[in-house]
Amino acid sequence: MPGLFNRYQTSGFFDEVFTPTSSPRPHYRALLSRVGSLQPSEYSALQNAVDAAFLRMGVTFTVYGDEQGTERIFPFDLMPRIIPHSEWQHIETGLIQRITALNLFLNDIYHGQKILADKVVPAELVVSAAHYRPEFRGVRVPRGVYIHICGTDLVRDDRGRYFVLEDNGRCPSGASYMLENRNAMKRAFPALFQSLPVRPVDSYGTMLRETLAHLAPRGVADPVIVVLTPGVHNSAYFEHCYLARQMGVPIVEGRDLIVRGERVFMRTTKGLCQVHVIYRRIDDDFLDPLVFRPDSMLGVPGIASAYRRGHVALANAIGTGVADDKAVYALVPKIIKYYLDQDPILPNVKTYLGVNKRDCSHMLANLDKLVVKAVNESGGYGMLMGPKASKKQREEFAVRIRKNPRNYIAQPVLNLSRHPVFVGQGFEGRHVDLRPYVLYGDRVRVVPGGLTRVALRKGSLVVNSSQGGGSKDTWVLWDDQKNQALEDR
Amino acid sequence: MLSRVADSIYWMARYMERAENTARLLVSTRDLLLDAGSEGTSQERLWGAILSATGDEEGYFALYRRIKGRDVASYLTLSRENPNSIVGNVQAARENARTVRDQISDELWECINGLKIWFESVAGRAESRNQTVAFHERVLLGCYHFQGVAASTTPRGESWHFLRLGTCLERADQTSRLLDTCSGLSREMPPHPDAQPLRWAALLRSCSAWHAFQTRSSKLDPCKIAEYLLLDETFPRSVAYCVREVKSALRSLYGHEIRGAAMPDPVRRAGRLHADLAYAEIGEILERGLHDYIDDLQTRMIRIGDSIFRAFVLYADLTPVGVPEMIAGPLSNVSGGDFAEHQSQQ
Repeated sequence: MPGLFNRYQTSGFFDEVFTPTSSPRPHYRALLSRVGSLQPSEYSALQNAVDAAFLRMGVTFTVYGDEQGTERIFPFDLMPRIIPHSEWQHIETGLIQRITALNLFLNDIYHGQKILADKVVPAELVVSAAHYRPEFRGVRVPRGVYIHICGTDLVRDDRGRYFVLEDNGRCPSGASYMLENRNAMKRAFPALFQSLPVRPVDSYGTMLRETLAHLAPRGVADPVIVVLTPGVHNSAYFEHCYLARQMGVPIVEGRDLIVRGERVFMRTTKGLCQVHVIYRRIDDDFLDPLVFRPDSMLGVPGIASAYRRGHVALANAIGTGVADDKAVYALVPKIIKYYLDQDPILPNVKTYLGVNKRDCSHMLANLDKLVVKAVNESGGYGMLMGPKASKKQREEFAVRIRKNPRNYIAQPVLNLSRHPVFVGQGFEGRHVDLRPYVLYGDRVRVVPGGLTRVALRKGSLVVNSSQGGGSKDTWVLWDDQKNQALEDR
Repeated sequence: MLSRVADSIYWMARYMERAENTARLLVSTRDLLLDAGSEGTSQERLWGAILSATGDEEGYFALYRRIKGRDVASYLTLSRENPNSIVGNVQAARENARTVRDQISDELWECINGLKIWFESVAGRAESRNQTVAFHERVLLGCYHFQGVAASTTPRGESWHFLRLGTCLERADQTSRLLDTCSGLSREMPPHPDAQPLRWAALLRSCSAWHAFQTRSSKLDPCKIAEYLLLDETFPRSVAYCVREVKSALRSLYGHEIRGAAMPDPVRRAGRLHADLAYAEIGEILERGLHDYIDDLQTRMIRIGDSIFRAFVLYADLTPVGVPEMIAGPLSNVSGGDFAEHQSQQ
């Protein structure tokens, strides 16, 4: 192995770059010959230049719980993750299948509830989901689609098989980092892009805009689209702004909008201007103080009634959080089978449901071997990493699980795949996942790339940015043969 | 354009202008002190006058018992307790820029953000701690950079007009304050025989007007200087020039000639003030008393600011109900409450 990799260990995990015998996988050869020839100091200099550019451009997220409201750059590792064409095809068809089924499921849940009547999914489970919105049952949503933008988290096990870890059907974030990471890579390694058939991701803004425009009320020729943000203090504010710019639409806060006559307007310097489609980055709970949390200062009073009447479209729809409930996640394979009569292309991770008696006792008996998750938490919060937890922590969780079994699921600890990350003088393996972005407009489209998240701490399995994770650019290749041909030259 | 966005662009420009003026004031004060020699009492008086020029006396005395040059400079430069300090103003400008990032060029954002990053860098911290001229000069460069990038990357639409409004109202206010301070000071004759012309020279430098004025007159005649800074329409930091710019930005915002009863309130106010300045005469002003004149000027500029806020920011809420499409032409004579100074750090 070249210099920067001379101490690299795959340590028995599935490594994205190297086979167990430490030879590079074919689709990484071109990259390794370029990166491997660098001195540590050269690599560090490139890395520092990228970090400084991110800081200058304000590609940051805000750290909560910090009085100063510190903005940090999302740690970024220059070595990209590469996904061969054939592997991507598998991912893409799997994601399309999954989002199609989830949308059929949500449409059913909020209308006929056939799947509950047929007892494929227990009615109790849906009704008790924290994000189920019974007040929106029977409300017709534009084109019958609920999840328009989905960020599905995929992981690979020790044999390199892809699994779905969770579906983020509410407000998935990270697309802006996917785009900025790519820009940074183009600046750092311009020559590589000429030698590898990397599929571009920069059409995301256009695709997103088309997806949103597709939702506009019928008969509106030139719909007004806006991005609704909780405001500048939100941790993902950079992303909200960035996506608004990519689409060329205004970014608004709740206080910029006003509902009159069941229509939504924005306050402009020339008076009120009607809005037709809202890409909201605010959760249901805070969207409308008249319907949801009355203490919310972030939303727009009356927006839910305008939505109900079909005068304004929301992406994603209200009530999609049911699909994000980790107990519902466990049933997605059944959901796919029920609506599409297919087996899932991308399997779920084995999941034990607290609500299920047998699963629950298994969970409690094996807390030292399992990962326990609260069903409605995200961002790596509310988790118990069984093997790493103390006896006291496990006991605390056992109490919580007994008190409210519906609220917990458990999964075996996955040996996530690893990818080289530059640490000081050379590369070391770190665990990664992958968040591709799926858009559902007039059809389902998957952006050829995504956000590869890295657990930067040695041995850590938690990749969330809120828990100190970082990211990498993700290169999806056009064509494996072409890639091979380049290799052989 | 969203009302909130217009408001933020306006304040972003105002805060940057304010940071620039404070930095220049501190640089020229330091020069003046070096030239005038170190006569303790007059130093103290001078720093006191500077505090009153920036309107920071109250805040300063809440922290310090006595006036000391070093404390005043530090309070005006980087005090966390002083939102009006240079660092505080740049921070507020950046917060406003952050809320309108989708409306301003990347270059403009990077320019404000770059200044903030420099403040927090090792080099910036060292410079600011030591109160070096280099620190204030770096701030000035950053502000000129901002002006240049704004002028060369902002499309000449609403963004540009609100930028100009913020910049010019702030600039006119600062120039008039500095002139007021300087003339107040010169009533008390300093001990050093050369100090008075030095002081008027420092005033010109504080307004970046030294060279421009020199080409006009070789003598530092205070009346001529007052005339130049108040009434000269060719100098871009004079009050008259700035008010004319405000008037023209407002005319562009309304986009068409409005006369008589339909004339919007901000246009009427700015137009009147501009006319008064255009036909004013320095002799009359001095006879009436420069201080009172400037006081009146500042009150009128504050009213113009209020009126702009009501017309463009509060206006949408006053639009009649049930109008489904865009309604053109803000209301002309909206009466409203007091204009609360915009809080950037809500």
